[in-house]
Amino acid sequence: MPILSLQDVLKDYQTDGQRVQAVQGLSLNVERGELVALVGRSGCGKSTLLNLAGAMDFPTSGSVLLDGVSTSALKDAELTRLRREKVGFIFQSFQLLHTLTVFENVELPLLLAGKTNVREAARERLAWVELEGLGERFPHQLSGGQMQRAAIARALIHSPIILLADEPTGNLDTTTGNVILELLLRLTREKKTATVVATHSMEAAALADTVVRLRDGRIEEITRR
Amino acid sequence: MPPVLLFYRLMVRPLLREPVRAGLTVLAVALGVAVVLAIELAGVAATGSFHSSMEALAGENDLEITAAGGVPEAVVGTLAALPYSMRISPRIEDYAVLADTKQSFPLIGLDLVSEGGAYAERDTGSGGTLSSVETPKDSLEFLEDHESIWVGSSLGHKTGDRVRLLINDRVREYIVRGVYPDSNGDESAIVMDIAAAQQALTRYGRVDRILLKVPEEPGLGEWQLRISAALPAGVEVRPQGTGTNENRRMLAAFRWNLRLLSYISLVVGAFLIYNTISVSVVRRRPEIGIVRALGASRRVILGAFVGEAACFGVAGALIGLPLGRLMATGAVKLMASTVESLYVSSRPGAIELNAASVLLALAIGIGVAVASAYSPAREASLVSPVEAMARGRREYDASVRKVRDLWLALALGLAAAAASRAPAIAGKPLFGYLATILLVMASALAIPAFVSAVTTLTAKLLVKFFGVEAMLASRSLAASLRRTSVLVGALSTAIAMMTAVGIMVGSFRQSVVLWMSNELPADLYLRPAGSAAADRHPTISLGLAEDLAKIPGVVAVERLRAYEIRYQGMPATLASADLDVQDLIRWYPQSEFLSGRRQQQVFPELRRSNTVVVSEPFTYKHHVKAGDTITLSLGETQASFLIADVYYDYSSERGSILMDRQTMLRYLPDAAPSNLAIYVSPQARLETVRAEIEKAAAGHRVLLFSNRELRSEAIRIFDRTFAITYALEAVAAAVAVMGIAGALLALVMDRRRELSLLRFLGAATGQIRKMILVEAGLLGLLANLAGLALGFALSLILVYVINKQSFGWTIRFHWPVEILVTALTLVYAATVLAGLYPAQLAVRLNPLEAVHEE
Repeated sequence: MPILSLQDVLKDYQTDGQRVQAVQGLSLNVERGELVALVGRSGCGKSTLLNLAGAMDFPTSGSVLLDGVSTSALKDAELTRLRREKVGFIFQSFQLLHTLTVFENVELPLLLAGKTNVREAARERLAWVELEGLGERFPHQLSGGQMQRAAIARALIHSPIILLADEPTGNLDTTTGNVILELLLRLTREKKTATVVATHSMEAAALADTVVRLRDGRIEEITRR
Repeated sequence: MPPVLLFYRLMVRPLLREPVRAGLTVLAVALGVAVVLAIELAGVAATGSFHSSMEALAGENDLEITAAGGVPEAVVGTLAALPYSMRISPRIEDYAVLADTKQSFPLIGLDLVSEGGAYAERDTGSGGTLSSVETPKDSLEFLEDHESIWVGSSLGHKTGDRVRLLINDRVREYIVRGVYPDSNGDESAIVMDIAAAQQALTRYGRVDRILLKVPEEPGLGEWQLRISAALPAGVEVRPQGTGTNENRRMLAAFRWNLRLLSYISLVVGAFLIYNTISVSVVRRRPEIGIVRALGASRRVILGAFVGEAACFGVAGALIGLPLGRLMATGAVKLMASTVESLYVSSRPGAIELNAASVLLALAIGIGVAVASAYSPAREASLVSPVEAMARGRREYDASVRKVRDLWLALALGLAAAAASRAPAIAGKPLFGYLATILLVMASALAIPAFVSAVTTLTAKLLVKFFGVEAMLASRSLAASLRRTSVLVGALSTAIAMMTAVGIMVGSFRQSVVLWMSNELPADLYLRPAGSAAADRHPTISLGLAEDLAKIPGVVAVERLRAYEIRYQGMPATLASADLDVQDLIRWYPQSEFLSGRRQQQVFPELRRSNTVVVSEPFTYKHHVKAGDTITLSLGETQASFLIADVYYDYSSERGSILMDRQTMLRYLPDAAPSNLAIYVSPQARLETVRAEIEKAAAGHRVLLFSNRELRSEAIRIFDRTFAITYALEAVAAAVAVMGIAGALLALVMDRRRELSLLRFLGAATGQIRKMILVEAGLLGLLANLAGLALGFALSLILVYVINKQSFGWTIRFHWPVEILVTALTLVYAATVLAGLYPAQLAVRLNPLEAVHEE
């Protein structure tokens, strides 16, 4: 069973009285251990698709099944639990809380879930992303690449079944970006997560198992390696 | 593009998009302006435009002749015999109470034979005279009738009405013979012939004042000298209205203290404006950079943010004006009752909202707003275009120099301590006021270090008890140190004021309670009915005291008498105690003097001698002490008195002199007492004796209080006098809590990215709400701690410096724990509740809008 399944999804928004279709007729399956790259120009619907996949937003029509569960059918508390247990988010501008240390940033999802004694788990995730020894630093004391690694560690702290990354290399130089993409691929394989990356980067597309090209909210092409 | 349009688009319109937050800020300014305006208007009405009704009816005279205990009638003849062309107007001046309505009015006895005609034809400006159907001449035929009175129109009576008046302890019926128009009640009074007044008041052979109208040449000073030379030693001649001016000066300290309390709300408002503009600057750093890059000068940026603050100031002032006028109506009632209880009988004047008041409101609103905004506005003007437009640096908080500011705070604190030890200047505790200002400034500077230390120290505890939400809240407050410090500063200033005034009033109250336990030793107290005031001492008919002393169970009846006198140009009370009964009551509680001696040690020195004791306020006002000699003008003589000791006296701010009754009777032979203190045998039943006393006193309009009732009444009056300070504190606290609410709203908007991220990371809506409420709670806690500390320090200055130097009272420090805990809990609860709406807003944020870059 695919980890993520979008079936004929349509999403439109009302903006200043105008109806805007962000995605339409979109169907996609993502399997465990698969790295999927969403490519396309700005405004083609990549972020919308990620939001739908992560149960942060809901389709106007069609269905989104995450681990076999339709997200539209869930109430707010159930959605929160779903995100806590199954989804990890990674953002372009890292989105680390500058008032917390790296350890505290990584631990945050578990703390929000009410878990205690989470320092070891954080230490382990930092080791996965090769950031051992930097746990006590604050985000402003890290480089861009280190901040993104910390964000990836945070996204992995609760062992999600799916990682959703929105332009994870957008704020990084090419070399660092490549390192991050390699890291994402390795983790996808090792931890058997499904990873969906929205990207403009050709390098990301080259690394992905599946490349989904979007245009004007529709899937133009799916290329599987 | 015209500057105004540009200003509107860039500065004003964004404010309108956050109507709640902008509204709260405007309201905070408005309340500050309103309170200051209300106190100013009410102060003028209650005290500043103090215009005794007596003066209102005095007409235009030049000089007045007065004497303690009244001017002997013979002086009128002496004056008439002088070879000068003067108009001589002897007057009896006291108060009467309408028995039916219990309203108190001036009672004026005039020589209607010589003055009645002129009074009857008085032109009030409306062209009217006496509105009675009788002609003035007709009215005068009733002069022989001691039951005739003339009244002001605002009393609501007409000619022929029968009116029952309570004068001293007797109710008598009078007939209205004429009604004169009075202007809005300011000149309302009950007028009778001077002989009738003397009879009603049992003031035979004396008048209260003689007014003189003298020729213009050779000048008032010369006339004073000429007339003074003809008068007996104890009789004084001075310009008319001197008494009013003296009272006005005495009330000045009272007004000043209230003014300062009202400024606290403005100070709190200033903090909030500072915070609002600071937030505005932080949020608009990219815009500032853009605008600078497009050619705007630093001065334009500075002007823009100062202009934003001025908008708040103008809006706040415009709302504060009608609000202040409304609040003044309530304030004047509270102030007037305090003036009457502690100082002098007066009727408040009308509240006048005039051009000066409007200008004051605008000046305060705009001035405070602009002054508060200058620093963050200047900071905005120094932002360079490159810095402001740099991507990635989304979070910016001005650096806070905690250590430097802490040193400055220490220096200011030391300066405050030094200032608090300086003496008063012209009777005003100016250095005391300076010390409080320095302390508030010191506190504001120390708060960043305090916030930083407390959040660091409590971090682990917070997580343990309140979870990760508390950690996030605490870190957020610590990270925005300047913003947090300003908010804590605002709320803690209000809390400090509540604490300081609460401690001062509580200490004062406790001192009064303790003082009363020794100072009110008798079992029962009796005084004439009718409203009591600090300067009114109606008397009890002769013979009643003697009748009561015969009742079985009554051990002694102490006759007390008080007069209002002037000493060194200030009002004072001259009182006598019945030292002849001291032996009978020696086992009752004895009062203690400043020297530590007890009553039984001091009073023998006073018996039948020219030795007195004086009150603590008296020594402070007149710079005298035990062992000094004072000279008093009593009746027709001046006499010297030795001060044996000093006693505590919290009953009035006026200075008091106490002598033996027999000594007083030598100079002022009117034997009627003002009060009776009745001592009951421990073997007798108090209720039975009381019933007998009431029976014996039937026919007299008197009030009988048990010791407990009198103390309760005294405390009730005490609490009432401080009602206005409580109201001012509440306003300051409300301003601060509103500021917290507005600031939390701003915090939520500024942190929507962070709050949205938490939703992505699995935070439930309840957790977001909890985080905001914990932040509000932390702000409240920090403010409470800082406010308590500052409040304690301020209370020391209030109790030991300002109060002492303003009024001369020694107050024993006392913690009113229950009141403080209640007040602080209420403020804390209000602060947390202020976080409810921002918390709800945070929950309703759409995370998608805030987080994604696309």
